[in-house]
Amino acid sequence: MNRTQKIAWLFVITISLAVVSSLVAFAVLHFIFGMPKAAMISSSFIAIAGFGGFGPMIFPKDKGKIVCDERDTSINRKAALAGFAASYLVVGLACMLPFSILGPRATIPVVWLPNIFMAAGLTSFFVHSVVILVLYGRGGRNE
Amino acid sequence: MSKIKIKNKLRQFRFENNQMTQAELADKAEVTRQTIIAIEAGQYSPSLELAIKISKAFGKKVDDVFEYE
Repeated sequence: MNRTQKIAWLFVITISLAVVSSLVAFAVLHFIFGMPKAAMISSSFIAIAGFGGFGPMIFPKDKGKIVCDERDTSINRKAALAGFAASYLVVGLACMLPFSILGPRATIPVVWLPNIFMAAGLTSFFVHSVVILVLYGRGGRNE
Repeated sequence: MSKIKIKNKLRQFRFENNQMTQAELADKAEVTRQTIIAIEAGQYSPSLELAIKISKAFGKKVDDVFEYE
């Protein structure tokens, strides 16, 4: 397993953990505090995903003369494209769903905008990492 | 996803060249060992440039090492 795969695994684990713990916290806190306090506290659990950013510091550079070649570049390019496509979909849905459900004259709080931005970012990183793992063949089988 | 139709004789030529290791071939072709493993397993089709580098490492023509089915 190379460094890129290790970092991708860290992102997948931290983002999954952040989303699951946030949803669990929301489910529990909803009954205790009600809205909107439950939503505010539970969304803070998303910060767990930030630990994924330490990946490049945690995992040392690969040994050997060549650490990146045409296959790595190709995989990274495909993964980045998939990540951007997924985040575009999230932003598109976040824009179109309220419009479709609430109608053209409705208003939504501005606080939704940073949340949409965060959701798009998380989706992009998550999909990017998953695609990297899939394209590398889930790592280390033939090595 | 379409199946890769390029066959190769990397393994055969490695053994014919004093049992060259995947790491040695990777160094000669200036790629990672993972890429050589993927090419050998038929999971990745190399670029023309890389195919030429690999062929040169064996002292063969591209046609001898790679074959389109």
